[in-house]
Amino acid sequence: MIVVFAIDALEYNLVEEFRCENLKQKFSGKTDISEFSQPRTMVLWSSFITGKNKEKDVLADGNREMWGKKWDIKETFFSNFKNPFVIDLPGFSYDTKVHGESRRLLKEFFETEDDEKKEKIRQQYNRNAFEHHKKVKDEFLNAVKGGKHDFVLGYFSIADVIGHLNFGNRTMMKMIYRELDDIAKDIKSKCEKLFITSDHGMSAIGQFGDHSNYGFWSANFEVKFKNPRITEMAKCLK
Amino acid sequence: MDKKLKFVITGHVDHGKSTLIGRLLFDTNSLPDGAMEEIRKTAEMLGRKTEFAHILDHLEEEREKGITIDTAQTFFKTKKREYVIIDAPGHKEFLKNMITGASQAEAAILMVDLNEGIMEQTKRHAYILTLLGIKQLIVAMNKMDLINYSQERFEQVKKELLAFLDSIKIKPTYLIPISAFLGENVAKKSDKIKFYSGPTILEALDTFEKTKSAEEKQLIFPVQDVYDVDGKKIAAGRIESGKVSAGENVIVLPENKAITVKTVEKFLENATSASAGESIGITADDFKFERGQVIAAKEDLPTVAKTFRANVFWMSPNILKKDENLILKVATQEIPCKIEKIERRINSSSLELIGENADRLENTEVGQVIISTEKPVVIENFNEVEEMGRFVLVKDMDISGGGIIIK
Amino acid sequence: MDHLSEMESRSIYIIREAYAQFKNIAMLWSIGKDSTTMLWLVRKAFFGKIPFPVIHIDTGCKIADIYRFRDEYSKKWGVKVIIGKNEEALKRGVCHKDKLECCTELKTIALKQVIAKHGFKALLLGIRRDEHGIRAKERYFSPRNSDFKWNYQDQPPELWDQYKSKQDDEQHIRVHPLLHWTELDIWEYIKREKIPITKLYFSKNGKRYRSIGCDPCCSPIDSNAKDVDEIVEELKTTKIAERSGRAQDKEKAYMMQKLRSLGYM
Repeated sequence: MIVVFAIDALEYNLVEEFRCENLKQKFSGKTDISEFSQPRTMVLWSSFITGKNKEKDVLADGNREMWGKKWDIKETFFSNFKNPFVIDLPGFSYDTKVHGESRRLLKEFFETEDDEKKEKIRQQYNRNAFEHHKKVKDEFLNAVKGGKHDFVLGYFSIADVIGHLNFGNRTMMKMIYRELDDIAKDIKSKCEKLFITSDHGMSAIGQFGDHSNYGFWSANFEVKFKNPRITEMAKCLK
Repeated sequence: MDKKLKFVITGHVDHGKSTLIGRLLFDTNSLPDGAMEEIRKTAEMLGRKTEFAHILDHLEEEREKGITIDTAQTFFKTKKREYVIIDAPGHKEFLKNMITGASQAEAAILMVDLNEGIMEQTKRHAYILTLLGIKQLIVAMNKMDLINYSQERFEQVKKELLAFLDSIKIKPTYLIPISAFLGENVAKKSDKIKFYSGPTILEALDTFEKTKSAEEKQLIFPVQDVYDVDGKKIAAGRIESGKVSAGENVIVLPENKAITVKTVEKFLENATSASAGESIGITADDFKFERGQVIAAKEDLPTVAKTFRANVFWMSPNILKKDENLILKVATQEIPCKIEKIERRINSSSLELIGENADRLENTEVGQVIISTEKPVVIENFNEVEEMGRFVLVKDMDISGGGIIIK
Repeated sequence: MDHLSEMESRSIYIIREAYAQFKNIAMLWSIGKDSTTMLWLVRKAFFGKIPFPVIHIDTGCKIADIYRFRDEYSKKWGVKVIIGKNEEALKRGVCHKDKLECCTELKTIALKQVIAKHGFKALLLGIRRDEHGIRAKERYFSPRNSDFKWNYQDQPPELWDQYKSKQDDEQHIRVHPLLHWTELDIWEYIKREKIPITKLYFSKNGKRYRSIGCDPCCSPIDSNAKDVDEIVEELKTTKIAERSGRAQDKEKAYMMQKLRSLGYM
């Protein structure tokens, strides 16, 4: 079984700093996303799964409407597998309702002037993110342990979603990274190849988190690259 | 309640300093409520219980917010008194930062990882502690859980450590086997470490004394500056020890001139006396005050000398050479000086004698030296009056070394 | 000696040391509670006769009460005030609409101009270690080179009250006599000494300023604390960070812009 643990906004420097050995695995490094004009989630994951720079195509839908885009499986590397299972991935099996709601709350947060109301929105925003995370985690672990598929990809948005409003709260971020590290620990013995990657990282702007200009990758098997472009990575997943 | 006792935790990085700090705060309930609440809430949202590891994560973040490479101050309290932990980093490059922190401490805990054993940094920090004159020392033999609570291993490392400490003339006040991670013998007595029946870390700390109140010693008042205020010439400075009163007869060093204190000046107050720790001013008739002078009680004068012996530690990548021009700073005195002789040049971690009658000291090395100054300087044995017994050496405009006078 | 007196003595020692070492120095006074406390300590250090000037950086955006307070007390205490103002930028219309540019032009550059004009070798600033983030890395005496850059990874050691004194001509030294004070310490000291403070800090219509800055960038907090005693009480129980007004506004503005370009909003 080949497993891809896709973690949105997983930051290379924090994986190092927080000593997440299970996320780091044996081989790891940063990804090269310099070819894109901005580190946009939809653009990056689309490019990852299709192996081509999809910035123009995705943005053609518009900066805000692009979230609903879905690529046909034949255009993605999933078609190389007999029985692939892909959870919540942007551009493929994205839960547009949950994530749309999350963005709505984000907007509301920034548009509210009242400090007390802002706190309430942030609490709700955080709670939703953690709820969704638990669901995805359960689905992911079951799929990996169930052994029915030859390929499983779990997409985890918690670091990105929580990060946007709380990256400055390092305690919370550390607990999230610890959680993700524990998941990696849990699954590493259950699959032949484990590949962990993020579309971009995160950097702090006060309490908030901005997307950084490189992503993260790690593998428990030997790969030919050191600083790969996001469009090149899927080649190693055979 | 006694005043806060400041102590420093040192030792090799990864030997458990942060875990110990976490434990001390956690077990004495000294964590701020807000922090605990937040951790609990996040753990709950993740569907997990609050783990001690989470507390450690939080504390690490709190400290890293300000001080990745500098020192930090954390507080906790026992029934007896409040404590300030000066947390010094363990990395070799930041030795000078560590020294800055430890120099304010009245006691120290030296961490030793029983699994890994004594490391270079362990020895270096122990040696620096002696040079800084810290006598109240607890050696925390940590990670008992990782060696299966083996008494054999404990005794083995203990023997090696005591031998080393003995060679640099340190006798630790306590040597305690602990597991900071599991909380064994830190605040709670351990039932797993059966061969040890001594005090826990907290009990040991509670026995330490705050350094003797400076008020009870003889008067030492270094002049920091002289101000002309409405025709009055006021000698300003901080009283380092003792007390001074208007009308008192005192001696000004290094001149060795006797004068009478006319007034004690405190802004917006009608003061007639002042004591150790206060930043004040004094006036006297017919006397020209100058920065660098030291006003002392005639019954117990500090020494005035042009050469003296000292232990120096060098903390600059810029090498210290014998006979080169340096500046010596003791209290408010700033005098050109030279290292006349480097009697012993020592590697501060192995304690290997690199040479006798050496010509230089390199970064992180320690030396027993003879210093000679261009003009007479007012000093004291470090053991008697600390403030006049410690100094820094300035080379090329940077503080590059520090030392203690041993006569 | 009690806690406050010990801190007071330490600050006075640092202030006197800065003057003795550098002579041509100045102090930054923002009229806020920290710098006014520092001014009080400076008065004490020099027995009421302050031998150097005080710089007030006027960004033109400040609240009227601030000017009133400044003029009243500089007169009462015999303080020489140098007003730093980036007239050129104000004429251009630089203002709070672009927060980053505003602070740089009206504050940083104005200060640079004052330093250049008077050749000050050191500046006294009222920053504290317990304020947000990177300030906790500061030393009592911190060198800045001529571009105001600061090499915080390679700080000079400060050992036994001996501080970095000499420096190259290009550098100026920033001195922080209040580094070891907490927000609560400042208020308790203000209470003990009865230091006058601008009334903006006290509650009016259920709101008061916790932090004083320029009018457009500073938001008041909810509070009913009407005097120093009540503020001290409030501080002992509150958890909200002090700089929540100012710095966060800048960050928020940046994030909104960034999130929009990333398609989130």
